[in-house]
Amino acid sequence: MNDLSVQFEGVSKKYAHFTLENINLELPTGSIMGFIGANGAGKSTTIRILMGLVHQDQGSVHVLGHAMPAEQAAAKLDIGFVSEDMRLYKSATIAWHMEFIRSIYPRWDQPYAESLLRRFDLKPQQKIKGLSHGQRVKAALLLALARRPRLLVLDEPTTGIDPVARHEVLGELMAVLADEERTILFSSHNTLDVEQISDQIAFIDRGRIIDIDDKEIFLDRWRRLRLVLPPDVTLPRFPGIVEVGGSDRLPVLTTNQFDPDMVSACQNTGATVQAVDCMTLEEIFVANVQSRREGQAV
Amino acid sequence: MNFSMVKRLILKDWYLQRWMILGSLPAGAVTLAIIAIPGKAVSFLGLLLLITILIAVGGQLAVATMVSERKEQTLSFVMSLPISYRDYTAAKILGNLLIFLVPWIALVLGSFALLMFPPGLHLGLIPYVAIMATEILTSTCLIFAAALISESQGWTVAAIIVGNLALNGFGYYVGHIQSIAKGMDGSSLQWTPAASFLLLAEFSTIALLLSLTFFVQSRKKSFL
Repeated sequence: MNDLSVQFEGVSKKYAHFTLENINLELPTGSIMGFIGANGAGKSTTIRILMGLVHQDQGSVHVLGHAMPAEQAAAKLDIGFVSEDMRLYKSATIAWHMEFIRSIYPRWDQPYAESLLRRFDLKPQQKIKGLSHGQRVKAALLLALARRPRLLVLDEPTTGIDPVARHEVLGELMAVLADEERTILFSSHNTLDVEQISDQIAFIDRGRIIDIDDKEIFLDRWRRLRLVLPPDVTLPRFPGIVEVGGSDRLPVLTTNQFDPDMVSACQNTGATVQAVDCMTLEEIFVANVQSRREGQAV
Repeated sequence: MNFSMVKRLILKDWYLQRWMILGSLPAGAVTLAIIAIPGKAVSFLGLLLLITILIAVGGQLAVATMVSERKEQTLSFVMSLPISYRDYTAAKILGNLLIFLVPWIALVLGSFALLMFPPGLHLGLIPYVAIMATEILTSTCLIFAAALISESQGWTVAAIIVGNLALNGFGYYVGHIQSIAKGMDGSSLQWTPAASFLLLAEFSTIALLLSLTFFVQSRKKSFL
């Protein structure tokens, strides 16, 4: 049995002003991947290829064992998809949408849908045109979750919604994570949201995946060292230094291959290690992107 | 093709457009009543209103179910369902055609009824009315094709204008075909080979338009 829910192999897609290049991505069943990139980095294009909505020029895509885009109808029977630019029918009610989706998905869970209605404070008879953006996102999420999908694909679902609605959406996603068989791909440029729910992280920039790893490993291997360097002392070349900031006397080293031995190695040269700072996912993402763009080896 | 999903998508569009379609029926009935009023000018006005209603319904259907699907960003919701783009195309073509046929059949049958029942039997007009009614159906299919392929309001409006101009020109042309024109004022039905040929040409054009739409859609590589 294939235990990968999503598998991209050498996927490329060329547009006039943008190219998605050689995407290799594997999402094991039961994992939660945060897909982080700036606006226009290629997140949505990658997700559209995953959903079969855009055909790749090169490479192969398999989703839940189905070749995409050829077998997209079968694959989408087990996928719940919510994207920032997805809208429901304005003139119809939430109840109509629920009935419509229920008629399509055999695993539709009506009691769960009703509990989500209560938790999201949505009224079934409300028309979509009367809902706020946050309520519309919650309604779309309800429709995606209550079909009990094996794969949940969320393309910037929290973009543009207020902090309270965002908290509710993320809270519900955290509850969904309890199901170990469900795989989630969560794309966002908001690293804080991704950090809360993901166990794997992929960074994408200018159409290329620039780094991919377990979240904890990311957080463990990235550090910022603040040093005080006496005159005439030169630091040895450490592996994985992606940025040297600060001044000559007070350098700040950013590394993606942190090892506690680096601290003693610095001290042995006569330098004082003032601090070894953990980095947030956002800081890691920014440092990663900047160093790649500047052409440094990471 | 997933026929069950195609059916659901058609029912969805019917549900969302039902008031517009159902509203067109009493409006059409009023225009038929106007046509029945004695007097050439009033009948002509009624006929114009009837044609306008059918063109408006076709244009509105195309805009509401195809152009707006992209413009209002409901396309990604629909395409997230377990369907392929072939299913989507089939649902849009079949659905719009079936939905449009509701007012079209009702109003065409109403028109025939006016011509067939006394007083003032006008059976001679039946071939002309049948040809023109089918021309409206052809123009509407052109609008559907433009809307589905381009998903653009501009191209759809252009197709509405082209369809409307073609309708006027075609109406004038058919009215001046001798074998059809000479029977138009009579009270007996005279079906001619020219009338059969024109009807066949119209239905062939409809089939060609819809096949071309399927072909172009099947070559698309990006749907969002």
